[in-house]
Amino acid sequence: MQTLRRLNLHPGWWLVLPFLLVVMGMFLGPILNILWLSVTLPEPGLDNYAALFESEPLRRMLWTTLRICLITTVMSVILGYSIAYAMMHASGANRNWMISLLLVTFWISVLVRTFSWLMLLGRNGPVNNALMGAGLVSEPVEFMRNELGVLIGMVHYMIPYAVLPILASMQNIDNRVIAASRNLGAGGAQTFWRIYLPLTRPGIVAGAILVFILSLGFFVTPAILGGGRVLMVAEYISVQVLITLRWGTAAMLAVLLLGGVLALMFILSRLIPLSQVFGGARR
Amino acid sequence: MSADSAQSGGLAITGLVKRYGTVEAVAGIDLEIQRGEFLTLLGPSGSGKTTLLMMIAGFQDATAGDILLDGRSIVATPAEKRNFGMVFQGYALFPHMSVRDNIGYALSVRKRPRREIAGRVEEMIDLVQLQGMEDRLPAQLSGGQQQRVALARALAFAPPVLLLDEPLGALDRKLRIEVQAQLKDLHERVGTTFIYVTHDQEEALSMSDRVVIMQSGRIEQVGTPQELYSRPRTRFAATFLGKSNFLHRDGRVWALRPEKIDLHVGSSGDDRTTGKILSQTYFGSVLNYRVETTEFGVLEVDVDAWRGGAALRPGTVVSIGWHDEAVVPLED
Amino acid sequence: MHDRQFMKETLFAGAQAFKAGRMDRRSFLILCGMAGFASQAVLAGKAEAAADQVIMWNWGGQSEVCHGSAIGEPFTAATGIGVGFDTSGPLQGKIREMVDSGAVTADVCDGDLFDAVALGQTGHLEPIDYTIVRADRTVDGYALEHGIAVILYGYAFVYDTEVYGDNPPNSWADFFDTERFPGRRSLYRWANGAIEAALIADGVPRDQLYPLDLPRAMARIAAIKDDTIYWSSGSEAHSMVVNGEVSMGMVWQNRGRSMEEDTDGRYKLVMNEAFAYPGGYIVPRGNPAGRENAMRFIATAQEVGPQLAIFQCLGMTPANPEAFDQVPEADQAYAISSAVNIDNVIFNDPTWWGNNIDEAVNLYLETIS
Repeated sequence: MQTLRRLNLHPGWWLVLPFLLVVMGMFLGPILNILWLSVTLPEPGLDNYAALFESEPLRRMLWTTLRICLITTVMSVILGYSIAYAMMHASGANRNWMISLLLVTFWISVLVRTFSWLMLLGRNGPVNNALMGAGLVSEPVEFMRNELGVLIGMVHYMIPYAVLPILASMQNIDNRVIAASRNLGAGGAQTFWRIYLPLTRPGIVAGAILVFILSLGFFVTPAILGGGRVLMVAEYISVQVLITLRWGTAAMLAVLLLGGVLALMFILSRLIPLSQVFGGARR
Repeated sequence: MSADSAQSGGLAITGLVKRYGTVEAVAGIDLEIQRGEFLTLLGPSGSGKTTLLMMIAGFQDATAGDILLDGRSIVATPAEKRNFGMVFQGYALFPHMSVRDNIGYALSVRKRPRREIAGRVEEMIDLVQLQGMEDRLPAQLSGGQQQRVALARALAFAPPVLLLDEPLGALDRKLRIEVQAQLKDLHERVGTTFIYVTHDQEEALSMSDRVVIMQSGRIEQVGTPQELYSRPRTRFAATFLGKSNFLHRDGRVWALRPEKIDLHVGSSGDDRTTGKILSQTYFGSVLNYRVETTEFGVLEVDVDAWRGGAALRPGTVVSIGWHDEAVVPLED
Repeated sequence: MHDRQFMKETLFAGAQAFKAGRMDRRSFLILCGMAGFASQAVLAGKAEAAADQVIMWNWGGQSEVCHGSAIGEPFTAATGIGVGFDTSGPLQGKIREMVDSGAVTADVCDGDLFDAVALGQTGHLEPIDYTIVRADRTVDGYALEHGIAVILYGYAFVYDTEVYGDNPPNSWADFFDTERFPGRRSLYRWANGAIEAALIADGVPRDQLYPLDLPRAMARIAAIKDDTIYWSSGSEAHSMVVNGEVSMGMVWQNRGRSMEEDTDGRYKLVMNEAFAYPGGYIVPRGNPAGRENAMRFIATAQEVGPQLAIFQCLGMTPANPEAFDQVPEADQAYAISSAVNIDNVIFNDPTWWGNNIDEAVNLYLETIS
């Protein structure tokens, strides 16, 4: 007990300690296992990591993933911001409608949405038929089965994840601060760029992190809307685990993903206090 | 302190109405505000004082009526073009900006040269005595310091009129009294028209040139603090500003301030009535008695505590008197 | 997933003790209760069931119903042992993980015969007991040590009759010729069939197809890449065709018929040069119902009745030669092993695929992505 007091440990910790250990074990155990697999399969060494430098297709796949996730994040945040802004400035009843519609999309499975996009924007879909009927295009526009299709499907899926944190940060803004800006002579645009946007930055960052990380794990939509030609890291890992049984490669990529996400969080935590981003104490 | 504020800042409000559906928040206000005046809008919550202020600031549209600044109607001018400074309830400082950037904001959005802004900010920092705090964020300041930043920010562009919405509400009592003095001093130095909203009668009395007592969207009475205190026109004015006894005589109601009643044991020539003490309460500077009289019911009487000697015990029979000019006839 | 795995292990150990009579029902249920989390009831049900059931691991959808009626019913009638299903799809990686973790929950997997080669070499499968399973009731060469072909499925193609009306494509050479047959194509995304098709199109004689010349195949596949999209599931292949996204599509032969029907005959199935893939039944090492029961289940599936029933229900062609000529006349065009098709189809070499699938799939993915 003497050392305990010196540790300055609240006795409550002893109550949660067993659960903490279980969670740590369940959480850290598998992660360490993955790390271990990545340097032992198929044989001990760093061969799996060396492949990152030696294999051009592997690098291409990672670049595709990064490119698509970044574009998805930027588009989702821009569109999500606009939607959240519209919600904030809609009347109470309209806002409730908009939020309900937004949340309903959470209940529609990825597959259903994906096939809906194929129907809507496919070669013989209503959009292409309308465009051709109106004489705007002579050949169907290739919206789907390529990278554009992947981006449309992913952005659509991700928008709610961008809207919600941004909306929360908008709701946190004191209207008087906005009024103060106008009172001091700033017009709508100035107030937006100098006050509103900076104050919603925690929401933007939270939304962007959420969307980016979720995007990294996406593969049903890219596989289908990309016409099988867009290969992203999550799907590649799943192929290596389930079909080719190259678990070492899969583990290496998983470690790379985890490390990448952690590095991203670290960099962000240097730029902006993460407690703000994840709804900790407000200033 | 600025040429602008010395030359303008006179406001005229005529027939101003604000209606929300069927509710009239402001129900027809006529008011002249002199250039350089410290005018307080005093009233309970829901009296329309804040709505009136927001209409002057341009954050609320008028349903009817007009607001004139130096003879020109500004009722259709958007808030950002009115050039009125404002200190908000809770201050509404920009949380992501330093003290310096907060104070310089109004000049910065007006695209003033960098050096002019820096100079003006320094001037304002000196004015509100925030030297050394320039780079802090609002969250790193005390309530009183935040209040001063808000003032400096609102005054930085030398507005003809400064609007203050309960600016002392968040401060503790001791600090509030200190800041009242500072505000009054500041007003004298800058010469800007101050329009001050509060529900605190003490603030209203201590700082204002004139006080507007409001109730239910209407003006009850306008006057200097002395006028309002000594000659309340309505029962509401008499109770909202200070305490009052009400006497019913000759078919009218009269107000009689508790401290204007003379109370002593035994009788004298000026006595109006006698009564029995029900209770006494000690307030430091005054002793308050509740006295039951046969003629006027229960009266409150304040006696200077230093003069009265030992407090009279409940049950003591006392004589009560007052001068003729102490009773004020009320309108209703 | 490890927590669930642990729960399962505990329960299955209990289930085995319960079955062996070392644990009474009450204690077993208490153990299930102590496992105590949301899905306990489900798991307990499954764990108890595992003690007197053969669990077939297949791909869900229609196959659960079809395997139940075609194989499960006659099997239960003959042995008294029930049949249950896990419909999550027995991919190689999943089987390997299941066996490695020691918590085997399936008895018979509806896999590919090349899985039997790959997983058999690494010790993840029970060997087939040819005293119960009949080696002569499958195509020559498809009775392997760790698995046996029970059905055949094929990679064929369909084409749009409105696009190629007068001069229809009839071979993989046509399929890969985008000059003579312009239009978009679809290929299978996981390399099977597609690599063989590319090589046949490139002029490799069918008897010299295996071992597959991967670089040559990749060059041919890359050549039509801009005109090709790729499907990963049967329903996706179906929708590409019925939505008119492709003019020619590689399909699973058993799906071809419904595509013809769903497009009112606009698309037509070509069985010439179709690749016959053996669907292998394999048994994970340490399967809960015991090796013998699993073998009896496979033997049941080999019988002519079940073979024809699967064909009727799923369109998968019988692998048992005794059933070849019993396929009804009207259906013969859609069956790989029927007299009209058997000489035109090309039989897959599961050993090559079992040994080379990792390289083949990765190369293929790199080529098409």
